[in-house]
Amino acid sequence: MQTGTPSRKTMTLNLTEAEMQALDELSATKDISKTAVLRQALRLYQMVEVRTARGEKLFFEHDTTKQKAELMVL
Amino acid sequence: MHDRKARRLVEATLIDGITRAEAEKAEAEWKPYLEEQLKRMAAEGVPKDRWPQHGHWDWRQKQEAADAYLAYRMFGVECQSQMQGLMLVLTAGKNCQIESQKGKPLAYVHFLAAAPWNLATVAPDPRFSLVGSILVATAIHLSIEEEFQGRIGLHSLPQADEWYRNSCGMTDLGRDHAVQDLRYFEMTPEQASEFLK
Repeated sequence: MQTGTPSRKTMTLNLTEAEMQALDELSATKDISKTAVLRQALRLYQMVEVRTARGEKLFFEHDTTKQKAELMVL
Repeated sequence: MHDRKARRLVEATLIDGITRAEAEKAEAEWKPYLEEQLKRMAAEGVPKDRWPQHGHWDWRQKQEAADAYLAYRMFGVECQSQMQGLMLVLTAGKNCQIESQKGKPLAYVHFLAAAPWNLATVAPDPRFSLVGSILVATAIHLSIEEEFQGRIGLHSLPQADEWYRNSCGMTDLGRDHAVQDLRYFEMTPEQASEFLK
């Protein structure tokens, strides 16, 4: 297989207790490691950044009421 | 892959990370072939519902769009210096709907297609088989690499519903009104393991 997968690098992360708890919970709920959770988060954040930079907005839509709420991206 | 004419398995290269040049080359080879076959099918009076439903996909455009995002991975299967199939997979933000896996992440196969000369619906004499299976297996391996345990999901074009349901053994979760009324399929870790056998 020809691969485009980049080599991986390691870093140390400093989190507050609340942030670590949220990470632990996501890791347990999603059944993936904390590294995988953060990788997911980064990919989604990067996608939101690229699209908002293009002038798009991010909305949440309620499944039944169809009410839309804009997600504020800082 | 299986060379239908030679009736033997042949070696192919799986490319992880399709470049713009590779997507352009594939598009430049696939499109004229497809157009030629569509003309033939029109002349032979083949009903339009039997024409390929993904003939309008522009892989050069998809590669360019996906290249901006970390969350997308694009794969290709190359054999005899030609791209035999392409696949675009989203690796973030999609969760399982199947009750036993609900809320757990999956690799979402956004687009998957074999070269038109490999399609029995298009080519009078299809060249290679197993291209789709190789790409589905690749999506499963990617899912495992991402710690998703082989879970994958996709929306299928009607012509491919039966293949995903019966040949791939995926679970059919019915029509999705949010995505052009296409049927939505998912593969559990158990189904993925079965498929890889």
